[in-house]
Amino acid sequence: MIDVRSISFRYHQNWVLQDVSFRIQKGSFIGLIGPNGSGKTTLLKILYHHLSPQQGDILFDQIPLKKMSRPEIAKRIAMVAQETHILFPFTALEVVLMGRSPYLGHRLFESSKDLEIARKAMEWTETSSLSERAMDEVSGGERKRVFIARALAQEPELILLDEPTTNLDIHHQRDFLDLILTLNKERGLTTVMASHDMNIASEFCDQLILLCNGKIDRVGHPGEVITRENIERVYGCDVWVDRHPVSGAPIIHLLKK
Amino acid sequence: MRIFPTLVLLLLIAWPVSAPAAHHLVDEVGRPVTVPLSPKRIIALAPNVTEILFGLGLDQEIVGVSIHCNFPEKAKTRTRVGSYISLDFEKIVSLKPDLIIGTGAGNTKDMVDRLEKLGFSTYIIFPKNFDGILTSVRHLGQVVAREKEGLVTVRSMESRRQRVINLTRNLTRPRVFMQIGEAPIVTVGRGSFADDLISLAGGENVAAREERMYPRWGMEEVLNRLPEVILVSSMNPKGNYEKVVQEWSRWKMIPAVQHGRIHLMDSDLIDRPSPRIVEGLEEMARLFHPERFK
Amino acid sequence: MKLVTPKKVILISALLTLLLLGVILLAVTLGSVRVPFRLSIQILIQSIMGGNVSGSDTEQAIILSLRFPRAILAGLVGAGLSISGAVFQALLRNPLADPYILGVSSGAAVGAIAALLLGLSTASLGLPLVSFLGALITVLLVLTFGRQDGKIHPNTLLLAGVIIGSFLSAIIMFFISISQREELRTIIFWLMGDFSLANPQTLLTVFPYVLGGCVVVYLQARYLNVILFGEENALQLGVNVERLRLICYLFASLITAASVSVCGLIGFVGLIVPHGSRLIFGPDHRLLIPASGLIGASFLIASDTLARILLAPVELPVGVITAAFGGPFFIYLLRTRKTMKVL
Repeated sequence: MIDVRSISFRYHQNWVLQDVSFRIQKGSFIGLIGPNGSGKTTLLKILYHHLSPQQGDILFDQIPLKKMSRPEIAKRIAMVAQETHILFPFTALEVVLMGRSPYLGHRLFESSKDLEIARKAMEWTETSSLSERAMDEVSGGERKRVFIARALAQEPELILLDEPTTNLDIHHQRDFLDLILTLNKERGLTTVMASHDMNIASEFCDQLILLCNGKIDRVGHPGEVITRENIERVYGCDVWVDRHPVSGAPIIHLLKK
Repeated sequence: MRIFPTLVLLLLIAWPVSAPAAHHLVDEVGRPVTVPLSPKRIIALAPNVTEILFGLGLDQEIVGVSIHCNFPEKAKTRTRVGSYISLDFEKIVSLKPDLIIGTGAGNTKDMVDRLEKLGFSTYIIFPKNFDGILTSVRHLGQVVAREKEGLVTVRSMESRRQRVINLTRNLTRPRVFMQIGEAPIVTVGRGSFADDLISLAGGENVAAREERMYPRWGMEEVLNRLPEVILVSSMNPKGNYEKVVQEWSRWKMIPAVQHGRIHLMDSDLIDRPSPRIVEGLEEMARLFHPERFK
Repeated sequence: MKLVTPKKVILISALLTLLLLGVILLAVTLGSVRVPFRLSIQILIQSIMGGNVSGSDTEQAIILSLRFPRAILAGLVGAGLSISGAVFQALLRNPLADPYILGVSSGAAVGAIAALLLGLSTASLGLPLVSFLGALITVLLVLTFGRQDGKIHPNTLLLAGVIIGSFLSAIIMFFISISQREELRTIIFWLMGDFSLANPQTLLTVFPYVLGGCVVVYLQARYLNVILFGEENALQLGVNVERLRLICYLFASLITAASVSVCGLIGFVGLIVPHGSRLIFGPDHRLLIPASGLIGASFLIASDTLARILLAPVELPVGVITAAFGGPFFIYLLRTRKTMKVL
C-alpha cells in the first residue's frame, strides 16, 4: 500500500533521514521505534505529507503523495498526534465531526451522512457518552480516544499514531491498544505507530522498523528486531531480552550498570 | 558748628534708601519675585507676553521668545527658547537674561520652578478676561520700567472697548456660535477670552452657559441652537474659507448658513491675551452689527 | 444539542438582528437634543418609505443626517472589528489577540495623522483614504517580514506585527511633537476613536470593504475551527493551512483598515466581543462570526449613543466608553475563566 523509496530529509544542514526505504502492506500493524532524534516523528510527518522529502518518493497505491491534494491524502491517511492543546471548549462530537473535513470541500456545514459517520466512529471508540462534553473537561485517556474517533471519521485506509501511550495510565494504555488492535484486525485499518515503549510495540505490532540516526537499522518481526545485539548497537546500552509469557513476543528488561 | 559729623550721619542714614538695586514684587499668580529696576535682557515665554512687551516700546531688551511668537515681525528675529511643552534651558542660560516673563495659561509650573531654581527672576502673568489683560499690561509696564507706555496702551484699549460697547448698546444680540476646533467641534464657554469678547461685542454666545472653557459639542447641539452668526477661529484665516463654508453648507436650517454669515477669524486676535485683542473685539462687533460699523 | 447547524445560525442571527434593530432605534431617538420619541421614529420610517417627512428642518437633520448615518456607521465598524478580532484570535491561536495586534491600526494612524498635518480635514474623503493606504502598506510589510521560509508562522507574524507597530508608534509620537495645538486635539481624539470625526459619506466607501471582508472570512469558518487545534492537526485533515492563513490575514486586515480609517482606534471591541460571544454561543466560528458581528454592531452603537448623551451637550469619544466596559468585563472573564483554560 505504501511504498517508501529512498527518501532523505533535512530541516537545515543535517540530514534527519537518509535513504530510508520500506513497504507497508495493507492491513499490517507497523511499529516505528528508535532513540530520540532518530527521525521517528519526522518520518510520520512525511508519511502524511506534512513534510516533503528532498530526495526520494512516497507512493500510496502507486500514486506519489506529492501529486495528491491535501484533502485526497486526508481521505486516505489520518494521524493522531501525541498531544493536542485544547484552546477553546469544543465538544467531543464537534471534534470528531472535524474529521469529515476532507469530504466537505468548501461546504460550511456537515450533512446528516457526515453526522452518522461521526457517531459510528464514536461508537467504535466508546466515546459516544462524551458527545456533548467539552474537550477540556474530559480525561487524557478519553481525549485520546476522541481523537482516534476523529481519525476514524476520516474513513482512512492508514492511520498514523505518534507516541499514543505517553502519559496514559496502564489501564488506559491497555484499552487504547486493544482498540487499535481491533480496528487493525477486524476492520483492516493499516496502522503505523511510533513508540518509545518498545515492549508495547513488540507486543502489538506485526512488524517493527528500528531507526538509528535517520537510517533504518532493522526491519522485521519483533523477534528479529528486538535482540540484545540490536538494542546495544542502537541505544548503546546493555539489556536483557526475554519472552512474553503469554504471547511470546520479545520483552526488554533494563540492567543496572 | 559741627557740620561735618552731622553730614556724615545724615549720609549714613540716607544711603541705603536712596539707591535701591531691585523691586520686590508679587506676580499675578502670587509668587514673590525680585525684579531688576530696569531689565535689559528679557525672555518672553509666550506669544501674548511678547506682543505686550513690544507694545510697551521694548525692542533690544527682548533677547528670547517662544517658537509660537509671531507678532510683531521683529519678534521672529529673536532667539527661540522653547514651546508650551518644553523649554531649552541651555539656551535660556546662555542668553543670560535678567528677567523672564511667562503666562499662567500656557507655561507649566514645572518650567517655572526650574527657572527659579536656576536663579532666574521669573514673573508670571495670568489674565483671564479682557479686564485681566488690562491689568497684566499695567503690571508688565511697571515690571519693565515702562509704566507710562503701559498706561497709554491700557487707556487706548479701554477707550476702544468703550466705543464698541456704546455703539452696540441697545442692539439685539445675535446668537453666535464660535468654533475653535473643527474635528471634533470645540466651542468657547464661560471663562474663555472669546466668550468675553462675544458678549462685549454685542453678541450672545450660544455656549455661554457651559462651565467648561472649551467644551466639545456634537453637531446636534449646534443645530438645536440655530446660531445666526458662525465664527470660526483659524490659524490660517485667509486660506480655509471655501472649505469651511462648504462644510457648514450641509446644514441649511441654520440661519447663519442661510444668510452667509459664516466668518473666519484670526485666532491670534481672539484667543491671545494681548493688546491686539481689541482688534478682535472690533472685528467681531463689525461682524455682528454691520449696519453700525460702516 | 450543542452542534451548530444552519438552522441554529439563522435563528440566532435573526434574534441578534432584532436586538440590533432595537439598538439602532434607541440610537436614533436618544441624543443631547430632545426630539420626541414618536417623532424620531416617524421621521426615520417616513424617510425610508419615501414621501413627506414630519418634523422641523432641524429635527429632520438631527435624525436623518446625524443620528441615523452615525448609527449605521457605528454598527458597521462594530461588526467589522468584532469579526476581524475573532479571526485574528483563531489565526494567531491567541485569545488575547485583537484586530490591532498586527500593526494595522498603527499604519492607519500614521496615514491619518500625516493627512491631518498636510492639511486634509477629517470631513474630507481624502483623510480616510490616506489612512486606509497607510494601513494596507503596513499589512503588506508585516506579511513580508512575518514569513519564514515563504510560509506564514503565527509567532513570526505576531513578532513582525508588534515590531512594525512599535516603529510606527514612534513615527506617531514624532508627528505629535511637531504638530500645532489645533491638530493635536484632533489627533488625540482620532487615537481614542471617535464617530463625530466621521463623514457619513464614508459609509458608502467603507461598506463594501467591511461587508466583503466579512463574507470572505465567513466562508473560511469551518477551517478556522480546525486550525485552532494546531497546524499538524489541520494539515492532516486536509486543510491548506498556508492559503487559509493568507486569506484570513489579508481580509481581516482589510476589514480593520477600512473600519479604523473612518473613525480612529476604537479599542476593546475587537477583543471582548468575540470573547463574550464565545461565552454565550460557543467557539464554532460558523456561529461565532455572525454572532460577534451582530453583537459587536449593537455594542458599538450603544456605546456611541452613551458617549453622546452621558455628559450632554459635551460629547465623549466612544473609545472611552468601550474601554470603560471592556476593562471590567475582561477582569470578569479572568476571574471566571469560563471561556478557555489559557486565560
